[in-house]
Amino acid sequence: MKAVNLDLVHTEHPLYAKLQSMGMPANKTEQYRNFAIKPLLAQKYHFYNPEKSVPKEGEKLVITNGSVSEFPSGVQVRYESDFVCDNAHYDVLYFYSHAVSVQTIYVEVTRESRFELEHICNQAETFLPYRIVISTAKNIHVEIFETFRFDASEQSFVLYGLDAFVNTDTTLRWIRNASINQAQAKLVGTHRFNVAREGALELNTFDFGDANALHLYKIDLAEHAWSRAAHLLYANTQARSGNIIAINHNEVYAKSAQEARYILADEAVGIFDSKIRVDAGAQHSHAVQNSKAILLSPHAHMYAKPQLEIYIDELEASHGATIGELDADALFYLNSRGIEAEEARKILVLAFAQSLIDSIGSSHYVEKINQAFEAAYYKKEQ
Amino acid sequence: MMQIKNLHAKIGEKEILKGVNLALEKGKVHVLMGTNGSGKSTLTKAIVGHYDVSVTAGTIEYKGKNLVDMPAEERALEGVFLSFQNPIEIPGVNNAYFLRAALNAKEKYRGEKETNAAEFLKLMRAHAQKLGMNPDMISRGLNDGFSGGEKKRNEILQMEILQPDMILLDEIDSGLDIDALKAVSQGINRMKDGERTFLVITHYKRILDYIHPDYVHIFQDGQVIKNGGPELVDVLESEGYQAIVKD
Repeated sequence: MKAVNLDLVHTEHPLYAKLQSMGMPANKTEQYRNFAIKPLLAQKYHFYNPEKSVPKEGEKLVITNGSVSEFPSGVQVRYESDFVCDNAHYDVLYFYSHAVSVQTIYVEVTRESRFELEHICNQAETFLPYRIVISTAKNIHVEIFETFRFDASEQSFVLYGLDAFVNTDTTLRWIRNASINQAQAKLVGTHRFNVAREGALELNTFDFGDANALHLYKIDLAEHAWSRAAHLLYANTQARSGNIIAINHNEVYAKSAQEARYILADEAVGIFDSKIRVDAGAQHSHAVQNSKAILLSPHAHMYAKPQLEIYIDELEASHGATIGELDADALFYLNSRGIEAEEARKILVLAFAQSLIDSIGSSHYVEKINQAFEAAYYKKEQ
Repeated sequence: MMQIKNLHAKIGEKEILKGVNLALEKGKVHVLMGTNGSGKSTLTKAIVGHYDVSVTAGTIEYKGKNLVDMPAEERALEGVFLSFQNPIEIPGVNNAYFLRAALNAKEKYRGEKETNAAEFLKLMRAHAQKLGMNPDMISRGLNDGFSGGEKKRNEILQMEILQPDMILLDEIDSGLDIDALKAVSQGINRMKDGERTFLVITHYKRILDYIHPDYVHIFQDGQVIKNGGPELVDVLESEGYQAIVKD
């Protein structure tokens, strides 16, 4: 069993020098400052070598312990041993995951598609790094519903990531529904979304539960490209969970909108660290960013860091963050109609979450996410 | 129906109620009038158990129990209802979902069969129609974006569905146009069955022309200073509070 460090990267690997200069994340590394990454890396793990098994065609894209075990029609899947990663990514684990992943899973979506991407990890005390590249054809609509099944994965660490390329005139709708508990694997996802001219990215993430999980994104927008990101997070017990995002408006008329809603109970820690950067060549950009958090306990913490970095004058931009408790007047109003205190709290928490859940539109997914949210919330209540 | 005896209460460190004595008779409409800041709303808040108000002495006897010892939701389940002066907006909480949750809580408390979603929607639509409410208010967020009049109608809608026994209406008539005032008054009159008791706080005579009170109480500086019949309102209208205070 070994810890997760630079010893796992061959000194002749093309990324070795970069990793060495960046250094592995520590407690003071900006992106990981509130996540407690050090004990996660220091823990000793087994190392699982994913098998290149022949996947069967089915309804979902299923990745079991880093290998594709099922793929849906309309999608082509293959393995590659190397991939040129985004040299401008800010996250060291993005490069590290590229360096230590034995294989990269290439997923090509060539026509209008809607499928579930299920990650399965059923190995305990295991470090499981893998990467997925998703490329889309021009002028199509792709909807991917990402889920996680981490049974029997206690004390494991899954380090995965996406490099997604949204082609011209294409919309990629990504919906993550992650309900992971502390008895299961810890999860770090480190991603890059590249949105080409007039492409669109809808990123909807729903992270519930009491496990430590962090997702780091870099989103690049070309001319007339847009992204809409919505992040709903519910964490309880001693979970540390969050989203770190860099959205770059690289060319003219790019648009981005981002809304985060966090609900934190017990001693949970929520992290929302997002920077929208509008480049000097990105005139007429439109960028809005908003983060709201509700603390259900005096011991819960929220770290909110909304940022705009702007290098032009011709744009519309706004950002803001609020952190507070449930509204006492709203609680009292419900109590005054005979609704008991815990039920009233639940109604208000659901109301806070609901607008982001409803924003995904599809009633099929709304129902699944509502169920996941209520399961996580009621588990806390028990 | 309700006996308030020597009730003292404060908000923060400030004493607002200074020994309120008030008997609210079963099946009657009581009106409470008084100058701004005299403590009328604080009295209703003390009755329903608002977290802002600390009762420091006295009792509120209702159905053989002292309400002061009960949490707010239990008071409501026992049949006490306050129509708020400024009902709060709660975006995201569906109006119908909220009201059905309240009705089901009451039914559960009484050991009755819970009204299902379909039955409830039918019931709510019928009551909303009687109050002249726009049907889309049923599915909107609770008071979310409602006008002042719509909020007051929504309070009456809740009252009619929850069927409480002791009804406190805190300035239900404020901000209402003539049509809304009529609709709200009709809603109140529909609830008058000789069993329910009303305590209506108002500054104006016009709603009283519709709901016909039995008793009028004048409130001044945290106390009831005069009890009488509807004729007291005429005295107030013609001579103002000063005449009553002097008296």
